[in-house]
Amino acid sequence: MLSVTDLRAGYGAINILWDVSLRFPLGQLTAIIGPNGAGKTTLLRAIMGLIPVTLGDVTLDSYSLRGRNTWDMAGMGLALIPEGRMVFADMSVEDNLAMGAFPKPHRPALARNLERVFGLFPRLHERRRQLAGSLSGGEAQMLALGRGLMSEPRLLLIDEPSLGLAPVIVHEIFAILRGLKEQGVTIVLVEQNTHMALAVADSVYLMRSGRVLLNERAAAVDSQRLHDLYFAREG
Amino acid sequence: MNQRNFLFAVLLLATYVLVPAVFGDNNYVMGLIISALIVAGIAIAWALLGNLGGMVSFGHAAFFGVGSYASALLTMKLGWPVLLAMPMAGLIAVLFSAAMLPALRLSGPYFALAILAYAQIFRILATEMDWLTQGAKGLSRIPTLPVLFGIDLGSRSGSYLVIVTLLAAFIACYAWVRRSHYGTALRAMHDSEQATRVVGVNSVMLKAWMLFLSAFMTGVIGAFNAHTINFLEPDYAFGGGWSVLPIVAAIFGGYRTLSGPVIGALCIYLIDQLLFKSLLPTGHQIMLGVLLAAMILFAPDGLLPLFRRRHA
Repeated sequence: MLSVTDLRAGYGAINILWDVSLRFPLGQLTAIIGPNGAGKTTLLRAIMGLIPVTLGDVTLDSYSLRGRNTWDMAGMGLALIPEGRMVFADMSVEDNLAMGAFPKPHRPALARNLERVFGLFPRLHERRRQLAGSLSGGEAQMLALGRGLMSEPRLLLIDEPSLGLAPVIVHEIFAILRGLKEQGVTIVLVEQNTHMALAVADSVYLMRSGRVLLNERAAAVDSQRLHDLYFAREG
Repeated sequence: MNQRNFLFAVLLLATYVLVPAVFGDNNYVMGLIISALIVAGIAIAWALLGNLGGMVSFGHAAFFGVGSYASALLTMKLGWPVLLAMPMAGLIAVLFSAAMLPALRLSGPYFALAILAYAQIFRILATEMDWLTQGAKGLSRIPTLPVLFGIDLGSRSGSYLVIVTLLAAFIACYAWVRRSHYGTALRAMHDSEQATRVVGVNSVMLKAWMLFLSAFMTGVIGAFNAHTINFLEPDYAFGGGWSVLPIVAAIFGGYRTLSGPVIGALCIYLIDQLLFKSLLPTGHQIMLGVLLAAMILFAPDGLLPLFRRRHA
């Protein structure tokens, strides 16, 4: 299980997260929703070691991740699908995927995982020799997701996969997330599309202004109350 | 052996044999070619750091100077054989480049400025530490390259063989890194360094390795130069020309290609010495600026890609 305990983090003098605590149980899909500026992306970046943690801790199976280098996370089974996809635009689709298996222990399984990802996303197979920069938004998101899967992560952190995509593509991506969960992958999904997120999630956190306002099982969420909290109509 | 490697080998053999056979008796021309190839060596090292590491350096004179002084002092003060002192000088340049590591977090113009300042520090050190370097007076009577397998490497033709061998080794090493996993990762870093970290690339270490490799190559070339001209002084060994000429050469020839820096160095140096110098005995370097400006305007990718495009 991945746990975040009393985490405080931000960018230099500007603090974003105010002592947040979240738990992401094994094999479950946990959604983090909230308006712009809630600190959702910052939380994922802090977990991955992309920004320093000021206070608190991040633990994976009671093993602290605080202060570890980002490049060691893949080896521990974590993969981040970053906001804005961050595909390597000047490289082919296939090379992008190969980068997902860069650490030496992952390289022997490269061919197998490439086949697996192409199986999940046939469109990427069609375009495997094309430059990633020439892909559409939906294809780029598939590539980012595929690249993350190349290291066979136990834990997938996904930052706003639906951003700017057509509904049909969003449905396709969410179907794949559901499939991954069924295979036992633990998923942390940051999403602004509350409706879609609630439909796939086991439990949900609502964040606003760097704090956790609500934590409930997805099935038990009262959408009116969520709506009110989201738009700050109540404490 | 694939076709490209075969071509490289044939070309190398031809350069080994043909140039000394044709110009071997003409010390002036051989000297010019060797000087051009020295610039080419630094240009390869500079292009490697720029292309693979994504760092623009204005301070390769520092590595060149450190390499030349290190090799000169190892042979003169400690009596090391020249051929052992040269690679050691490369390693010493690597050691000194490690002082640059904090600057690796800087990018673009900030890195360029930091390394420019860094190069100046070494020129001053070499001048002030006269108990070691004999300061501004300079070092003279630096040992020449030895005789090996009956070939006098200290002669013009012999030195030519040494520098061509060095350049071939540098290009082979550059090509190997570029084709490896690390080359792909370095390419990916140009798009997004954060994304490469997320997939498990120790980007700081990779950039440091490129700096070390570039410093090593430049240091060895500096050492070679010290043993061919047999004289060093701080203003010469750490002169800004060793930083600027290779940049001009690499950009002129095509810094994204493997052989562009070499072709660029030969063109630039020979045009400068044979043509511009006779037209403008003082300040002929200004013509290089004009040439570079024209090149950037009309063929920003350099000579080699321009040539390839015409024939494609």
